[in-house]
Amino acid sequence: MNKILLICLFLLQLGQGVAQNRFPKPDFESGYKYPEIHYATPNEELLVMVDIFLLVALMGIVSWAVIRKRTRKPIIWVSVISVAYFGFFRHGCVCSIGSIQNISLALVDNTYVLPLSVLLFFILPVLFAFLFGRVFCAGVCPFGALQELVHIKSYKLPRTLTILLGMIPWIYLIFAILYAITRTSFIICHFDPFIGIFRLGGELGMILFGVILLILAIFTGRPFCRFMCPYGALLSLFSSVSIWKIRLTDKSCIDCELCHNACPVDAIRAPYQKKATESRLRGVKRLLNYFVLLPLMILCGAFLMRSVSNELSRSNKEVRLYEMVIQHEANPEEVLSVDLEAFYGQGGVVEELAKRAEKVQTDFNFYSTIAGVFIGLVIGITLIELSVKRTRKLYEIDHAACVGCARCFSYCPQYKIGNESGNTSL
Amino acid sequence: MEQNNENKNENKNSPIARRKFLRVLGTAVAGGSILAISGGLISRVKGSEVSHYWQIDPQKCTQCGRCETDCVLQVSAVKCIHANKICGYCDLCGGYYRSNVKELNTAAENLMCPTGAIQRKFVEDPYFEYSIDESLCNGCGKCVKGCSSFGNGSLYLQIKRDLCKDCNECSIATVCASNAITRVSLDKPYKLKDE
Repeated sequence: MNKILLICLFLLQLGQGVAQNRFPKPDFESGYKYPEIHYATPNEELLVMVDIFLLVALMGIVSWAVIRKRTRKPIIWVSVISVAYFGFFRHGCVCSIGSIQNISLALVDNTYVLPLSVLLFFILPVLFAFLFGRVFCAGVCPFGALQELVHIKSYKLPRTLTILLGMIPWIYLIFAILYAITRTSFIICHFDPFIGIFRLGGELGMILFGVILLILAIFTGRPFCRFMCPYGALLSLFSSVSIWKIRLTDKSCIDCELCHNACPVDAIRAPYQKKATESRLRGVKRLLNYFVLLPLMILCGAFLMRSVSNELSRSNKEVRLYEMVIQHEANPEEVLSVDLEAFYGQGGVVEELAKRAEKVQTDFNFYSTIAGVFIGLVIGITLIELSVKRTRKLYEIDHAACVGCARCFSYCPQYKIGNESGNTSL
Repeated sequence: MEQNNENKNENKNSPIARRKFLRVLGTAVAGGSILAISGGLISRVKGSEVSHYWQIDPQKCTQCGRCETDCVLQVSAVKCIHANKICGYCDLCGGYYRSNVKELNTAAENLMCPTGAIQRKFVEDPYFEYSIDESLCNGCGKCVKGCSSFGNGSLYLQIKRDLCKDCNECSIATVCASNAITRVSLDKPYKLKDE
């Protein structure tokens, strides 16, 4: 017994340098057999197929419900299925919102492996938005569905506030793409408010944020979708030019305001008669000023983002590691951190790391400038949107903002007449 | 500007017609961009798999202990697994006992595993079989460190596929000191040492 120990210790001294196989394979005399161990693997391929099938099927049901039947009941069921399956069963990865990052990274980086499921999760809702409007948001997206299911009362927010808060998704989208294509971080996934709720555990701050959003969602329609979701922003571009559009009724609008009050996301615009609060010339001048201001804002955005790009790049792992190396070289007597230990332990070359870090920084420099251009554009266009007022004679659906929840249909008195006589044609 | 005025004179509904034209243009651009993106990326997808998993490369892992703390799950999906075929079956096991034990008994202060997840069974003199109770393991990697610095390296960390949520970006991978966590294909979900 002790002999073996001694041998072990001796071998240990010998084998310090050698990584593996310090001890020989034992010769068992008692006919011992190695245990067979199998590690569980879920049938991921099947699950992915089910995911994609459900995605298409649910979006199809919603499209049929909002475009053809004009009814809300199927959408509630779709929401329940989506929250149960995509949310609580599949725990939401990969979701369409997060897939933006994979797609943009795949577009700039040829070496990045893009699985088919991610591509489909990104492109199918976009395609459906292009055909039928934001049917994905209606109830197929587990986040939208969750907020939809808790929503009780629609308190309207002031229009100006809605427009201003509506900038956040765009800026979030720009930053998400910036951080994804520089291989820094997938911020949409890290700051996901509802994933913790679906997983029944996670970072406390994010869960709290999710709960606050859900409480807000009781009183005002879908705060996450309207004021945060970058994918919703993207879909709104496609839904505003969609081929088939949601229409409230085939009959003429009677100007009753009921649909406007029923809409949780403020997507039904009230009639607006141009009241001359200012002369036409002044209005045009103001608008022209904004258009002159727009390039200026773009330039400002580009300049500002470029000047902070080095600061932004510090959230990249390579850059951070390089900074640690520099700090360590400045005072080498300090205890090595875990990262540096691993870096030196794996025989990392400082010059190569420096090169990689520098590449990340130049990438950040370049892409931050572009991001700045877009941020300037978003702010400028929002300002223009605030000042332009179009004449509307009747209530109109803003297809970019409409998420197809179908609450408005049952409120429309004209719809009821049409439905009773069985007239539900497109 | 002049042309616009001319259009207006020709057609009284000119602003509407213009809006309609813009809408058609927008539809065309949107449809075109969908086609372009899917066309551009579908060629990239071809030949690769439907999905993929995160997995730890045991050759790179430095057992920094972040697997225990940085997983999105409360108890990490990373578990220690044991390759019996390369194990030395020693009594004095660097993964089982702490490095400075005086007596080789199973008193808790002598054992490396903080949760008591490593179990051992006497096989024959002088060999012991070690196994991991996965329900107790928290993926801290202390035993892995012990085994790879004093033993054959038969204990190593892997992401358990039945536990992992397969996040879009693995939150351990973002902090992994040795960049050991990468994507692997569905048909090879583990990087096993005894294969």
